[in-house]
Amino acid sequence: MTDLDLSRAWLVDPSSGREGPGEIVVTDGILEAVTWLDGEDAAGIDATGVVVAPGFIDLHAHHREPGNEDAETIASGLAAAAHGGFTTVCAMPNTTPALDEPGVLAAMHAAAIVSGSPVELLAHGAVTVRREGETLAALGELADAGVVGFTDDGAPVRSPAILRNALAYAGALGLPVVDHPEDANLTEGAEANDGLIATVLGLRGWPVAAEEAAVGRDLAILADVVRDVPGARLHLTHVSTAASLRLIRAAKTMGLPVTCDVTPHHLALTDEWVAGARRWAWEASGDPWSDDVVIAAAYDSAMRVNPPLRCPEDAVACLAALADGTADAIATDHAPHSEVDKAVEFGAAANGISGIETALGLVLSAVDGGQLTLLRGIEALTSGPASIVGTRSRRAGSVGLVEGASADIVIFDRAEAWTVSSEILMSRGKNTPLAGMRLPGRVLLTIAGGRIAYEAPEA
Amino acid sequence: MTDVLEGDATTDVVIPTIAASKEGQPVGWRHRHLLDVDDLTMADLDLVMRTTDAMTEVLGRPIARVPALRGRTVTILFYEASTRTRVSFEVAAKNLSADVVNIAASTSSVTKGESLVDTIRTVEALGAQMLVLRHHVSGAPYLAADTFGGSVLNAGDGWHAHPTQALLDLFTMRSRLAGGALNGLRGRKVVILGDVLHSRVARSNIWALTTAGVDLWLCGPSTLLHGFDAWARSAAIGGRRITVTSEVAVALRDADVVMALRIQRERMASGLLPSLREYAARYGLTAERLSLAAPGALVMHPGPMNEGVEIASDVAAGAQSVITDQVANGVAVRMALLYLLAGAPGAGAAAPAS
Amino acid sequence: MSGRRIMTADEIRRATIRLSHEIVEKQAGTDGLLLVGIQRRGVPLARRLASAIAENEGAQVPVGALDITFYRDDLSLVAQQPVVKGTELPFGIDGRTVVLVDDVLYTGRTIRAAMDALVDFGRPQAIRLAVLVDRGHRELPIRADHVGKNVPTSREEIVRVHLEETDGEDGVEIERVAELELTGEPVG
Repeated sequence: MTDLDLSRAWLVDPSSGREGPGEIVVTDGILEAVTWLDGEDAAGIDATGVVVAPGFIDLHAHHREPGNEDAETIASGLAAAAHGGFTTVCAMPNTTPALDEPGVLAAMHAAAIVSGSPVELLAHGAVTVRREGETLAALGELADAGVVGFTDDGAPVRSPAILRNALAYAGALGLPVVDHPEDANLTEGAEANDGLIATVLGLRGWPVAAEEAAVGRDLAILADVVRDVPGARLHLTHVSTAASLRLIRAAKTMGLPVTCDVTPHHLALTDEWVAGARRWAWEASGDPWSDDVVIAAAYDSAMRVNPPLRCPEDAVACLAALADGTADAIATDHAPHSEVDKAVEFGAAANGISGIETALGLVLSAVDGGQLTLLRGIEALTSGPASIVGTRSRRAGSVGLVEGASADIVIFDRAEAWTVSSEILMSRGKNTPLAGMRLPGRVLLTIAGGRIAYEAPEA
Repeated sequence: MTDVLEGDATTDVVIPTIAASKEGQPVGWRHRHLLDVDDLTMADLDLVMRTTDAMTEVLGRPIARVPALRGRTVTILFYEASTRTRVSFEVAAKNLSADVVNIAASTSSVTKGESLVDTIRTVEALGAQMLVLRHHVSGAPYLAADTFGGSVLNAGDGWHAHPTQALLDLFTMRSRLAGGALNGLRGRKVVILGDVLHSRVARSNIWALTTAGVDLWLCGPSTLLHGFDAWARSAAIGGRRITVTSEVAVALRDADVVMALRIQRERMASGLLPSLREYAARYGLTAERLSLAAPGALVMHPGPMNEGVEIASDVAAGAQSVITDQVANGVAVRMALLYLLAGAPGAGAAAPAS
Repeated sequence: MSGRRIMTADEIRRATIRLSHEIVEKQAGTDGLLLVGIQRRGVPLARRLASAIAENEGAQVPVGALDITFYRDDLSLVAQQPVVKGTELPFGIDGRTVVLVDDVLYTGRTIRAAMDALVDFGRPQAIRLAVLVDRGHRELPIRADHVGKNVPTSREEIVRVHLEETDGEDGVEIERVAELELTGEPVG
């Protein structure tokens, strides 16, 4: 258990809606004191230096264990999480075998214990057996074993009837169905966002309509189920388009129990990056083919992800959705891949970005770019996810800088940037579009459950 | 004995001037690879054209060969079957006295699952200094350029680019329409007719022709023009002229060049077209449609042709067709590009001095 | 012109006349003679020689142009130098005496390349070489049959020949390399 005394830092506590100069004291793993400073004591402390926030919660991460440990193990995944400032991670069930019955979950928990990491590992169970979309998995048994939700991610729940039944059944269990909204018929062979970039680069387009149609379908089914199962809940993960967010916003206004998350890469990166641009979504304007925009090689397979990187307007819409609450949370969709699966032609490369370690950097870049407030950004990484799965976490009810609770905090320095590289990344997946780039907000210390999960080496 | 030209006036040989760049320096070739034509400037295009003129002269000699690439190894690696283009490159390389290694993927270990990266490393270890690559996945040459130590020449990747085709098309138009001067193509109306969506020939021609100041029209069924309207609008920002339309009569009216693209059976299978018969009826380049174009308009086709579908047989063989020119010019253009790439900064090991 | 002038327009004129006499003398007449100028400046020189011969002997010696760009042994020049289109040999060379004409003879590599090129066009009975300036520093066993002026130089110097047809005026100058921005002029 850890002791820590940190004075003169900028505290961010979304649970109380408060941020400002302060001090924290951790004694024997408990967050003993959280002191807000004002007047003279607060002089000289601002949000540009050391920041303390509650440990982040990731709703959506892929640990490839069991089955594909080349790309990631639970141990490396939790280490990467801690490096990114996350103290709770929800693993996705697309392992081999899939997490469609409690035995697999037990194996994953055992691996987490063996790793020695204090980061909390939660998991989603599959909606259907082997994620094949045909028959419902053992939802009740999985719920008893402690899953936080049900999803067939990286695939959508293809059958509307199955989705309907899953929503109803899971609703009675008090757990959400998490859908990856994609109409697979419209995305067959698709490689990049259907737009100007894909047209010029000769890549098969991934239409916005494929996500929007799936979101529309899911919302219609949810509206139907809610009539006889009021506890039914739908969570839409990695929403990436303005069109989808418009539908979700309208559904929420009507009172439908739907929530959604957006990924850091869909906030900051765009399909221009496939052509070799390296400017943030909010900086994009004019002709992407002008000389000073394209600065890297085109067709970098690190850009290949599902859903694809979208056009700047969509990314900006995701940022606006976070600001107005339409998007409830930021989830990383951390998808590590081995080099074998990525060092191939663009169209043949596996989809996915290894993103849990760069999430904070991208969120802070958006804050620096005036697209998001620091408080809202941190909230989307903490209280937001907690509102969706928090009851199943050991941190239930205390996600925040809460005196007396077990310490789950992250300390980062906004004045210190760091360079993304294979050596620095702790995940086995080095597939990041940000290789070689500098990101703000180097993580100094991550404490999970009162124990140190990550400590930055002395520079 | 050959002719003895006694009594003739001194032959008036041309002393050409070296084109100077704005800074007064001679213009050179600075690209290590040729992956696409999108970053070639007008000066680059002009240099390729003039180098091709020189290669055309070489091809006219009794011994159509120069030692420029002697000691160099050019490896031709084709993942897509194509006899005509592969042979064209082989002839071009041999005319420059290069050593040629020709690999057709279906016969190599590639079919056993060897990755592109591994194949290129092997080929490089066996001495390749220049790689001519054709691949069915868009962007593959960029991965090759990242892996390979020498120069990569893209012979066609997926739907994305076919730079040598666009350059030989440009050369053909320059010869036949503009008296050998690239500037003469400015403002001319060129129509690309057919399956633009799936065509790397179309995409590369869009870049090359609009850089040369052509008034470019893209025409075909709307499903096969998907996304090009947005490109036309974006291109307009940079001063490039592109018009996209499904109306054949409007597109062809007064055109100086009509380039027909091959339409493939697979497009029907994927539901993009009702039938080839319907395509031929509405978009096929017949003599009647050709008469809408300017008198003497050039008829072009990258080949191979589906006669009777995208182009009528009589038009393909007619007086206005320069399709055979295109094939001949292909060798000269490829010789020019191999030569320019061989001398580019950063290109592989220098050839041993003779 | 910058640098030190080593031949005036008049000196060039006299040297050209003398060379034209030498060429005819060596051939014992004009039968079978062909003048082939090496691009670029060898070409106007070849024309001038043909004019001088016509004036003195009353005979027209055919003139051709040879572009040796594709015969150089150093491809690194490609990046700096554009291609110069200009090989025109509108006559057969088999059995004839070809006199190659160039402005400056230096390492000899250009002449070696020119001979390689010529041999692709046919089989001359003899190949001779006439140059306006020989600056020494041969790297290959090549010598000129007819020389306008021998100019001893160091390797840090560059010899520039200007001709009215190509440069607007006649003159030859010598310049130290350190004094100028190299513009990628062909090294003879």
